[in-house]
Amino acid sequence: MNALVLIKQVPNTDSPFRINSAGTWVEEGNLTYGLNDYDRYALEELLRLKDAGTITELVALTVGPERASSALRTCLATGADRAVHIKDDALAAADPLSVARAIVAAVKDGGFSLILAGLQADDDNYMQIGPFVARLLGRPCATAVMRLELRDGATVRVERELENNRLQIVDLRLPAVITVQTGINEPRYASLKGIMAAKKKEIRTLTLSDLKLDAGAIAAASARFRTVRLAPPPKAKGAEILSGPADQVAKELVRRIREKTGVI
Amino acid sequence: MACKILTLVEHESGAIRDTTFELLGLAHRLAGEAGWSASDIKALAIGQDLAGPASSVAARGAAEVICAEGEAVRDYTCDGHARVLESVIGAESPEIVLIGHTPNGWDCAPVVAAGLGVPIATECSNVAFENGRPLFTRKAFNGKFIQVVDLGDARPKVATVQRGASPAFGGGTPGTVRVVPAGVAAGELRAAFAGVKKGETGAVDLTQASVIVSGGRGVGAAEKFGVVRELAAALGGQIGASRPVTDMGWLPHEHQVGSSGVTVNPKLYIACGISGAIQHIVGMKGSGYIVAINKDPDAPIFGVADVGVVGDLFEIVPALTRAVKEAKGQT
Ligand SMILES: Cc1cc2nc3c(=O)[nH]c(=O)nc-3n(C[C@H](O)[C@H](O)[C@H](O)COP(=O)(O)OP(=O)(O)OC[C@H]3O[C@@H](n4cnc5c(N)ncnc54)[C@H](O)[C@@H]3O)c2cc1C
Ligand SMILES: Nc1ncnc2c1ncn2[C@@H]1O[C@H](COP(=O)(O)O)[C@@H](O)[C@H]1O
Repeated sequence: MNALVLIKQVPNTDSPFRINSAGTWVEEGNLTYGLNDYDRYALEELLRLKDAGTITELVALTVGPERASSALRTCLATGADRAVHIKDDALAAADPLSVARAIVAAVKDGGFSLILAGLQADDDNYMQIGPFVARLLGRPCATAVMRLELRDGATVRVERELENNRLQIVDLRLPAVITVQTGINEPRYASLKGIMAAKKKEIRTLTLSDLKLDAGAIAAASARFRTVRLAPPPKAKGAEILSGPADQVAKELVRRIREKTGVI
Repeated sequence: MACKILTLVEHESGAIRDTTFELLGLAHRLAGEAGWSASDIKALAIGQDLAGPASSVAARGAAEVICAEGEAVRDYTCDGHARVLESVIGAESPEIVLIGHTPNGWDCAPVVAAGLGVPIATECSNVAFENGRPLFTRKAFNGKFIQVVDLGDARPKVATVQRGASPAFGGGTPGTVRVVPAGVAAGELRAAFAGVKKGETGAVDLTQASVIVSGGRGVGAAEKFGVVRELAAALGGQIGASRPVTDMGWLPHEHQVGSSGVTVNPKLYIACGISGAIQHIVGMKGSGYIVAINKDPDAPIFGVADVGVVGDLFEIVPALTRAVKEAKGQT
């Protein structure tokens, strides 16, 4: 069977984040980027099925600007067979539903039995693209999956993470879309050999016209998802901050812990 | 039939979860802001044998509780719930749909939105009218920023709402309960519920600990956990962790504190190199006294801590260990 992993290139979490002058998103110029953490786990899950011979071809797909191709290269170097890059200026400010529609336009006839995505992107935290793609393709979906097992050619059993250390077990009929929670596996790193091999693998670029999608329709949909502002979170009343040399601060902490908790 | 706001009842085998009443609290505030009437607020419960639990929802803020019942939707599956939601939303044509941002809520809500062809604002910490428009406030960049979203002319406007975002509804005239068939047959569903199980557990039980010293991604590596371990030992406490620490295998899963790990309430909780994401905070905010050590002065953990130190944990934590031993007369 063939499988698809949806990936996103996101700013590294230790990047210097600054709000842009319009106050609607972050300034992109001073950020460094990498593959979304959740997507590394999704990719690894499919690489394991490929190692086991269950998956024949593994494709990685992203919707993103030019720079996002390096995230696709990472996937190819780690073991994906080929990549698809949907790239169009008209998608730069697209809403999540339009991003999902573009993905669906590119994959609808792809014959992918399994489509995996991350539970969320570390930048927007939307938790939408996987379920959107599932619904638009008319396939079943499960999110925050911590275990995935192909039962026969027709179903996949997944364990969805619930709260308080519990899991729900669900059987999905294939083809299905699954979003992966971190910790499901231990993602591998690209080997030197993999990095060399990736240079010969194909990244196919698709534009809106290749997908027969209309920029006007995307602009109209995006008007229904407008970021009015991005702002620092409101300051909570919060802790009293102690400062000074470490040993002095430590003594003061001990005094308070003793007074407030009696555990020392 | 129509309503202005439709909320989803969150229940587990008939036991209603707090989220349900918080959504109704939010719905009443929004109705007030928009000039809608309390009779414009309805709730939808999906499952089987719901009449009893539904009456408690009707008594606490829903003008009508629609119980969509069927054997095929007795247990939650995304496919089953999403189909019912889509059809009830179609029939009621609400302006706003509120769903709890819980594992089941975040699972089915975007599927419903895509089915209706509308956008969705997820994990909202607030929804409020501003200049006559409902605006949806949510976190982005894992809590570094808040994002305020305007869903334009979308109808309905769908949102998932964080737990605790609103107080529960306080009172009012009891509403009615209407039972309707879910209209979903098991045969047409492509998902089948196969049970709920407990995750991995181990020898450590943090729920009983009176002192917990937790390390986060800021500790940097499994082999650097020694400083955290030594402080925990000096205090006679247990070792806790944030999710990345257990995801990366630095510590076994049973040490994970938070929404998907354990909820703890020790007398003393010390967070070292933990940013304070909402999913971590919900698991430890009930602790008696919270100390946070983080090099980032803007880390959200300082918002829930009683006392904090801004600095390198590899300096502060060993110093604290020494001071604890000294105070206990162990040096
Ligand atoms: C559905 C879901 C469920 C989740 N469940 C949980 C859960 O149960 N528990 C949980 O914890 N998380 C959970 N998460 C993950 C959560 O959102 C955060 O990603 C996670 O809590 C972050 O962990 P952290 O604070 O250790 O790492 P980060 O957010 O990366 O923070 C590391 C911190 O360390 C500080 N630091 C770095 N170096 C030093 C140093 N030398 N000295 C001092 N400070 C330093 C940094 O300033 C930073 O604040 C869940 C997420 C989702 C989506
Ligand atoms: N632009 C994109 N291109 C391809 N996949 C994406 C894109 N954005 C998000 N995804 C996938 O959807 C997941 C959830 O993203 P989000 O809904 O933005 O939180 C990510 O982990 C990716 O797997």
